[in-house]
Amino acid sequence: MKRAAWFVALVALGWSAWDTGADPVRFVRGLPWIFDILGRMLPPDLRVLPAALLGALKTVEIALLGTAVAAVLALPLGVISARNVAAPPLFYPARVVLNFFRSVDTLVYALIFVAAVGLGPFPGVLAVIAYTTTSLAKLYSEAVEGIDRGPVDAITATGATRLQVLRFGVLPQVLPLFLSYVLYRLETNIRAATVLGFVGAGGIGFYLQTYLRMIDYPAASTVLLVTVAMVMVVDALSSKLRERLV
Amino acid sequence: MIHVAGLRVVLPPAAVILDAIDLTVRPGEFLVVLGRSGAGKTTLLRAINRLVEPTSGIVRVAGRSVTGASASELREARRRMGMIFQQFNLVRRARVIENVLAGRLGYVPSLPSVFGAFPRADRELAMECLAQVGLATMAERRADKLSGGEQQRVAIARALAQQPSVVLADEPTASLDPALTGSIMDILRRINVERGLTLLVSQHQLETALAYATRIVGLRRGRVCFDGAPGEVTPAVAEAIYGENG
Repeated sequence: MKRAAWFVALVALGWSAWDTGADPVRFVRGLPWIFDILGRMLPPDLRVLPAALLGALKTVEIALLGTAVAAVLALPLGVISARNVAAPPLFYPARVVLNFFRSVDTLVYALIFVAAVGLGPFPGVLAVIAYTTTSLAKLYSEAVEGIDRGPVDAITATGATRLQVLRFGVLPQVLPLFLSYVLYRLETNIRAATVLGFVGAGGIGFYLQTYLRMIDYPAASTVLLVTVAMVMVVDALSSKLRERLV
Repeated sequence: MIHVAGLRVVLPPAAVILDAIDLTVRPGEFLVVLGRSGAGKTTLLRAINRLVEPTSGIVRVAGRSVTGASASELREARRRMGMIFQQFNLVRRARVIENVLAGRLGYVPSLPSVFGAFPRADRELAMECLAQVGLATMAERRADKLSGGEQQRVAIARALAQQPSVVLADEPTASLDPALTGSIMDILRRINVERGLTLLVSQHQLETALAYATRIVGLRRGRVCFDGAPGEVTPAVAEAIYGENG
């Protein structure tokens, strides 16, 4: 059994390498070109810095607004997807819906929303909401499933309504976790939002793509550096906040 | 005050936890249910407020039918039954006063309470209940900062805030230092005598039960095996409740 599993895994990996044309020699031959591009990126063209910074700001806005709206929308969805609080007629369909929508990436949603509402940051916000709502709902529901049953029993025993039990028995137990998940999603959404511009959904990705297409490597490198700085700053802030929560 | 007839609880797949329980608790009684662990004491208490759903049988409390009650009738019945748990079951991250206020959830309008709005009279009542267990100065502390004995007193205050006619206490001293057993049982006796509350308390400790109860019910393998005054608990009766044989 164990041997068969190893065999299957090796065959799958071997096939994947062959089918994708993975070739170390080709990679090594390509290396000089990478250095060539990197070399042509230097020095960064700082004249595009204001544009890059504006783009970065847009990206942060897309991620911030999208994550915040999703954090709220995910609340009811997360509760009805938790096995220990939701009734089975709600729970099973909710799980199917979550898993379905979660399997589509933010970038794919962006393509759909750009087609629906036109170019700009707004379809980017919608894309972030679409993906993050379901992915947060999944995380929420797992947090709810991990709660201590005791306080829920105690609140139920007072004659509280279902809503009150959620508010007083469940929410206090999961709130710090929820906030921590939201911050974590904000970090990943900043990263996801940097490429939204590639499909016309606004933010810094638009500038990166434009300069790369114009083969203006010094300008592109400025945009890249701003992107890296933006992601690092948001990550640092967010993880500081998360440390204080748990 | 509490009327139980033909109560049977079977948990899936086929574990008979309680069988053919007939029990009438009269107003003002301090009834202690004795039995080894696994005898069904906890299930009996939880079946009375339907935290555990009875398989068959009748439960009436203060003239209201608990079994067969609709969701809203059940909440109304529950709010007149305080419940105290072995593990206290406080909302650990919430403040002490918030935990006591939870006892009012069955009385206050659901939606405002979710946003933390409680009528002033309910807040005053919660403070009074806290004072009655000697913890008025602890109101603003976080519940998990209190010692075990203090937490159980907060749980008693929460039950008192319900203005119950019946208090169900499930092994209220089992997870406390033995030195604290007396202080918790003394508070229960005081609310029994001063407020005339009917108490149904489960205990595994014979000496404690005999010292406080006005009536003892022995439970063995889900059936009542003794029902009488503490004075009638002879060594033979104790053997029947706790003994290894039979």
